[in-house]
Amino acid sequence: MRTKLIVGWVAIFLAVLAGLSSAAAQTGRVAVVVNEKNPVNNLSSSDLRKLFAGEKHAWAGGVPVKIFVRAPGANERVVVLKLLGMSETEYKRYWAGQVYRGDAQAEPVGLFSNGMQREAVVLYPGAVALVSVQDVKLGMKVVKVDGHLPAEAGYPF
Amino acid sequence: MLVSSLSYAQNVPSEHEEIQQLVQQINALQERVRVLESLKSDNPTSSVDGTAQTVSSPTVQTAQTDAPPGPIPEALHELHGIQWRGYGEADYKVLNQRTPELGTNGFVPGSSGSFYTGDFDLLLTARISDKASVLSEIDFGERDAQKFEVDLGRILLKYDYNDHLRMSFGRYQTGIGYYNTAFHHGSWLQTTADRPLIMEFADDGGLLPTQAVGLSLTGTIPSGKLGLNYIAEYGSSDTVRPELNGNVVEDENNGNHVNVGLFARPDSIPGLQIGGSIYHDQISDFARGPSVRLGQTIVNGHIVYVRHGIEFLNEGFLIRHVYEQTSTVFNMPAFYSQISKQFGRVRPFFRYQYINANPSSLFEDVNLRYGPSFGARYDFNDFIAFKAQLDQSLRKGQPDLDALHFQLAFTF
Repeated sequence: MRTKLIVGWVAIFLAVLAGLSSAAAQTGRVAVVVNEKNPVNNLSSSDLRKLFAGEKHAWAGGVPVKIFVRAPGANERVVVLKLLGMSETEYKRYWAGQVYRGDAQAEPVGLFSNGMQREAVVLYPGAVALVSVQDVKLGMKVVKVDGHLPAEAGYPF
Repeated sequence: MLVSSLSYAQNVPSEHEEIQQLVQQINALQERVRVLESLKSDNPTSSVDGTAQTVSSPTVQTAQTDAPPGPIPEALHELHGIQWRGYGEADYKVLNQRTPELGTNGFVPGSSGSFYTGDFDLLLTARISDKASVLSEIDFGERDAQKFEVDLGRILLKYDYNDHLRMSFGRYQTGIGYYNTAFHHGSWLQTTADRPLIMEFADDGGLLPTQAVGLSLTGTIPSGKLGLNYIAEYGSSDTVRPELNGNVVEDENNGNHVNVGLFARPDSIPGLQIGGSIYHDQISDFARGPSVRLGQTIVNGHIVYVRHGIEFLNEGFLIRHVYEQTSTVFNMPAFYSQISKQFGRVRPFFRYQYINANPSSLFEDVNLRYGPSFGARYDFNDFIAFKAQLDQSLRKGQPDLDALHFQLAFTF
């Protein structure tokens, strides 16, 4: 009887743990979004890194790239830092350097919500941002990364 | 029960997450209020101005609506006007000798240690259009007796046609190698307390023409995963260089220079940069005669890796001076290697540098010198850093020069 009780509690604990990790995995998924008018459909991980590092200044058609990121603390911000291989401090210092060298006018604006990111992506033809999958809305175009959409196997984020 | 637990875990965010979401929403709302207030104060007649209406009215729509939002104020995302950023430092340096060297900024003769403020730097940038911008850097450098000199470090009109062609007109830092393009006057940006001597600014006794006025082109070269970039410069550096002992100031009287460089940032190793450059101009050697001219060629090769908290900088130089009308040629090699790694807020570093200048050349004051530097940088936050550095320079024909350098570097 006692053994069954213990097994039961362990099962419940594992189930809750599985549920939590499943929820975390769902909220962790981020999509790469651009303006609807942007003809790009697929980006390589390398292209994406160059975009968010400010090394790529214009899209193929010549439209200037506008990078939008979430403010510190957001999951999308963590993904950007992981993509660039930087800590938050290194990221700040990196962008200060980019501005100092004249390679960028300012550090990308850190937006406080995905709603604001959505507005920015709709407003700017050259916009690119990372947005949680559940926050992808009308007006945003989801771009494949290395040929994969967020729900597909092989998607990097 | 299992189902209910699972459902609860998936649907109900934790208290911490909920608080974070609420804080983010409050921040977003505060930002919107700030923008609306600034718009209202900037343009109180917006209600009768059609353009202003289209700009201001959509800002009140909620982010939760599914319909595509209309235009929002550009103030939310764009930076207008002139952007300012300042860089400053406060230093204390102790040497094992009482004679000054310009490489040890602000040093007071007769004393073995002194405080100085180094460079105070103001960076101003402004965007003129999507493709054009202006950058200027005003530097206040400390000289003898706490007097300060103002130097327009850079003034550039920049035009980015596309990724393959980015142009700059005005005063720039020459693209000789990596360090001079990556680091400018602001000490806060660099890991160490000072620049390697070979990359020191010419007006602080450095050997290379670090600044010039002219045209600079840079951009990417279609090269797939190799990630090739070029740099091409044509201008005049007109360098005036004080000798390290501060007794003589040499006007190199440079003619126009050409500098071309190529570097690769391969996709396979993000953070790696391998490249080189060749610089050429003609300079004067007034010590040998009023009309003695020589060709100066500076060849650079560099391998740099900066990522994942690691900074590994390696640059080699060959400075070649060929005197006109004689067969005199000086080949002077130099290099430095610097490595550092971030551990939390602390970044220990090690640097080794070497310069072998010919004693009969223009750089007789430099001669042969080499040695290590090591220390650590501590970042209090994203704006203030403290650095402690120990240097040893072995000098041919002179006693070793040891130094302990403390620096408080900040940006604002």
